[in-house]
Formats: sequence, C-alpha cells, structure tokens
Amino acid sequence: MEFIQFIIDRKMDILVALTQHIKITFFAVALAILIGVPIGILITRNEKVANFIIGFANILQTLPSLALFGIMLPLLGIGMTNAVFVLFLYALLPIIKNTYLGIKSVDPSIRESARGMGMTTSQILRIVEIPLALPVIMGGIRISTVINIGTATIANFIGAGGLGDLIYKGISMVNYNLILAGAIPTAILALLADGGLGLLENTLTSKGIKVSSK
Amino acid sequence: MRLLKKLITVGLMVSILLSLAGCGKDENVIKIGHKNYTEARILGNMFSIMIENQTSYETTLTELGGTSVCFEALKSEDIHLYPEYTGTGYSVVLKQNTLKDPEEVYNYCQEQYNEQYNITWLKPLGFNNTYTMTVRRDMAEELNLKTISDLVKHAPNLVIGAEMEFLERSDGLPGLKEVYGIDSFKEEKGMDIGLTYAALKEGKIDVNDAYGTDGRIKKLDLVSLEDDKQFFPPYYSAPLVNEAFMANYPEAVDALNMLDNQFTDEEMQALNLLVDEGADPKQVAEDILREKGLIQ
Repeated sequence: MEFIQFIIDRKMDILVALTQHIKITFFAVALAILIGVPIGILITRNEKVANFIIGFANILQTLPSLALFGIMLPLLGIGMTNAVFVLFLYALLPIIKNTYLGIKSVDPSIRESARGMGMTTSQILRIVEIPLALPVIMGGIRISTVINIGTATIANFIGAGGLGDLIYKGISMVNYNLILAGAIPTAILALLADGGLGLLENTLTSKGIKVSSK
Repeated sequence: MRLLKKLITVGLMVSILLSLAGCGKDENVIKIGHKNYTEARILGNMFSIMIENQTSYETTLTELGGTSVCFEALKSEDIHLYPEYTGTGYSVVLKQNTLKDPEEVYNYCQEQYNEQYNITWLKPLGFNNTYTMTVRRDMAEELNLKTISDLVKHAPNLVIGAEMEFLERSDGLPGLKEVYGIDSFKEEKGMDIGLTYAALKEGKIDVNDAYGTDGRIKKLDLVSLEDDKQFFPPYYSAPLVNEAFMANYPEAVDALNMLDNQFTDEEMQALNLLVDEGADPKQVAEDILREKGLIQ
C-alpha cells in the first residue's frame, strides 16, 4: 500500500523516466531494424561475408555494455546519442542473425518455382522470401527489443536518463520503493513491447503461412 | 497490408530524422554534471542554485556514472563543471599516493590539472569525504574494533563488500592491504556502494568501504574504523571546471567561490542523510544555502 502511494507521489518522475526510456530503446531498435534487416538479407548472398559479419556482431554482443559506453564516450559524448548508438549495436546481432537464418531457411524449391514463374531476384525477395521469413525476422526484432529495454537501464551512466535513473537513485539511497518504481515499469514495458510486436507479426504474416504452419 | 508496411517504414524514417535533428548550442546555459550518488546530487544542485541565483545564466544538471565519465565529459566540453574530490583527482586521475596533507594534495592537483588538461579546481567547500572502513556496531564491540589495524587479525574471517573501483584501485583495497599488512579477507565482493550499506546491515558482508560524510553510517548505526596509519588521502570537494567555463562565465566562477569553506563534515553528513531518507536533493541544497545566507 505504501508502495502504491509512493508511485502516485512520484508519478511525474516515473513518467519522465519512462518517456526517455521508450525514446532511447525505440530509436536504437528502429535503427537496428533499418540497418540490420538489409545486412541480414545481403549476407545470404555470400557465405564468407556472412560468417565474418555474424562473427563480428557476436563479438560486439560479448562486450559489457558499460565498457562500450566508456569506449564511445570520447567519440559520442554523453547523453542520448551515445546511449542510442550503443544500444543499437546490441540490437543488431539478433536482427541480422534472424534475418539471415529466416531467408536462408526458405525452401529452395519455392525459390525455384518463383524463378520459373519469371520473377526477378528482387521480386522473389519481396514477394516470396521476406514474407516466408517474416516470423523468424520478427523473432529477432522481439528479442532485440526486450534485451534493449533491460540494457537501457544503464543509460543513466552516461546521462541519458531513462528508468535506470530511478533504479540507481534507489540503490544509492537504499530505497526499495524507488528501485521498484524503476524496475517494475521496465519489466512491464518489455512485456508490452514483446506483446505488441507479436501482434504486429501476426498482422504482417501472410495468411498462407499461418495455415500451413498449423 | 502493403499500406501498413509502408506506413511503418515511413514512420520509422521520420522519427529517426527528427531525433537526429537539432541539439543546438546555447551560450547562456551552463552544463553541470555530477556523479550518481546522494552527495554528488546535492552538490550538483548547490552549484546550479548558486549560479542561477547570482548570475543571469541558466543551468542544466546531468547525472553521470562515475569519475571517468564525468572527467571525459568535462574534457570534451559536454559539461562545464562537476563536483570532484581532491583525493580522487590525486589518486585516480593523477595516479599519485604519497601526499596526505589536504593543502598539498589540492595544490598538486591544481598544478597538474592546469598543466595537463587546462582544467581548474575552484575553492574547496570545506568538508573531507575520505574513505572509511565501517562495521556493524555489535561486531565492533564483540571483536573490539576501533581502528583499521584492529581489523588485521580478523580479516581472514570477514567478508568485505566494496564498489568495484575500490577493489581495483591502488588507493583502495590493494594499497590498504599492503599498508596495514592484511593478507586477505575471507571474500571480496564487488557491488554498488549504495548496496554495501544494506548488505552490511543484513550481515551479508562484514566490512564495507564507506564515504566519511555518508549519512547512512549514522542512520544504520555503523562504526567507522579509524585510519590509524593514515592510508587514505584527503577527499576535499571542489567544483572542477574546464577552460570554456573559466573563460566565458567569470560571474559563475565568483558565485561558486562563495561556497569556499562553507561546510563541515557533520553538516554534509546531515544533508546526505536528509536526502537518503527521501528528501529532494534540490530542496535540501536550497534550504541550506538560504540558511547560510548565500542566496536570497
């Protein structure tokens, strides 16, 4: 009960932090989609490049995010830009990987028949490959988004705000209400984002696939 | 279907462009940074209030994660100033450990920072927030602990919790063990400084590295062990400002120098406690400055 009262008292702070948090993760994931999906598609054309790019993205993934913030500090300074860029790097891997795997997993015979119908490579990509790979691609986007929402709590370290502000303030004051006021919205945000993207995936997936996968 | 896809794409493009556009520079705004714990928040707010009260400039406050982030931001002019401790400058940035006299440490820092980075230390605020090792009162009484030297023979049975920085730094635990002749603790746990207090109170750890002016030492009834071998350097707090600030905002420099020697250790501890208990750092800063007649 005391916690509910606390949330009501601090609702402005929570809203500000939440808005910043949504902004940071949204831009990071959006950028990662815009760049990661095309890369994922392109590398399906060349095995060697694919191994290199995925390997590189794997390495990025293993760097602690704090270290990455530190490395980027002299280049990108403090605040939003740095946070968005680092989180964008983190979001890239699952998106590239899943796009690559999704397109790769399209049955070659389907590709053949499309070619036989006289489709161009770009038509095959747009009309056949992407729609068929969509559930896998969306899976990557969903993973990225959820991870990003969690990782964005450390944006506080470079002055980019977000829900991490409440969490770290709470930790330094040993104030559990404040920690929860940051942590609970983070968790809810992650669940909502995942659910929302699930719905989007459903909308975008062509009817044919849904029937065949049942 | 296709329309939806197009809309999503266009929406994404537009929002990204918008985000990249426009972060203009405003000559009239002084950017203050501070580290991410209670005392730093109070000091950051104090600087902001002093400047806004005494000059026509506006200020922004940005919380940053620790010494290196603040220092990088100061060098790259992402911020104009932040509150720093002489001891931190001396040991972390300049990597020295011989001097112990507050004045000597301050002068050395001033000289080196000016020379190497074009950064200036303004007048210190008066309190010394040096490290102190703290233990639970019941344990202090049971083992008869008063100084860090008393800790030496019990160390193998005790778990120490400290922030990562302290576990690594030569002016932190490694140096402390060397000077006092401590072989090893039972376990060394790295965690956020804020968590060490709760962990100590709940018996998860037995010793922590506390900041001398931390309100929680009093609040949680912990015992500070005396640094009988004078291992820790002095940590006097002062505004650390870059060249851009010195050159462009002389009135703000004067405003901050009004804080010269205004605060004792006890006063700072009381202010920290207020904020740790839930008071707003800005309000606490404003009240004390008004009480001291530094602002109208």
